[in-house]
Amino acid sequence: MIQKLWLKKPKLSYSKDVLDIIQFGSSVMEDTAPNDTDIAVIFQKISLKNQLDQAQKIKKQLQKHSELPIHIKTFDLYTFFNEANFAKEGILFYGKSLISKDYFSKKLGFNPRIHISYSLKNLEKKDKVRFHYMLKGRKKEYGLLKKYGGDLLNPGLIEIYPEYENVFIKSIKKLTSEFKLKKILSFEE
Amino acid sequence: MKKQILEKTAKEYFDAAEDEFHKKRYNSTVVLFFKSLVALIDLYILQKTGKSPSSHTDRFRITQDKFPEIYDLLDKDFPFYQDSYVQIMTKELAEVIKNDTKTLAKKTKIEL
Repeated sequence: MIQKLWLKKPKLSYSKDVLDIIQFGSSVMEDTAPNDTDIAVIFQKISLKNQLDQAQKIKKQLQKHSELPIHIKTFDLYTFFNEANFAKEGILFYGKSLISKDYFSKKLGFNPRIHISYSLKNLEKKDKVRFHYMLKGRKKEYGLLKKYGGDLLNPGLIEIYPEYENVFIKSIKKLTSEFKLKKILSFEE
Repeated sequence: MKKQILEKTAKEYFDAAEDEFHKKRYNSTVVLFFKSLVALIDLYILQKTGKSPSSHTDRFRITQDKFPEIYDLLDKDFPFYQDSYVQIMTKELAEVIKNDTKTLAKKTKIEL
């Protein structure tokens, strides 16, 4: 179950100290069973006490829109990029802004994507065909690329959106173990 | 008897937290202040209802139903206690939890 809080467009009341409110963790990933909804609130440089008090108010509002418990973390830009913040890669790469309704990384000018490179050379012909059907579809059935908005960049290389990582990996693993993932933050010139 | 135990543990954890704070061991400090806070929350519930919670779940339920301002403190600080094994706690956070503990001490009329 995917808890698309950012698509529910909850009307939130928050102060101008708030730079962004981001959903991250398993609740933004397709094909997972999250136990809670992880939220990061990024503040301007204000005291921790103030951050925590404001975050509690945001949490109460969000809880009304989520069936799962809200687990909230607060940061300012310094603590967000601090090496002790183990959650930063997940927030930066997979996080969805509840304010912009888009990837948080877009605010920093980056588009997050996953590149999956794979080799079919050791597969039997029938499995190569199955792999092709899985990605591109067959007759009236959509393949994963069309269903989840991915692209075939080159033979043996696809690009997908981060939240569908598990869906693609699970399907690819059924046919081959010869694949590699690369997580990419790209920017448009 | 329960009242005395909660008072004693609240004070003991608070003193130990202060010791750790002076040694700049903030993860231990946060855990100990939080334990002191929980003992005081249980004492507050005991003072008001004559009963004390048997678990974290029970504590959350009772405070959410009957003492929302206490629930807010508990709900705000609990994640830091949970994360104290895997996150670096700061001096500023330790001071926030200390202040919350002092708030509860005032409510329960306990001198720490």
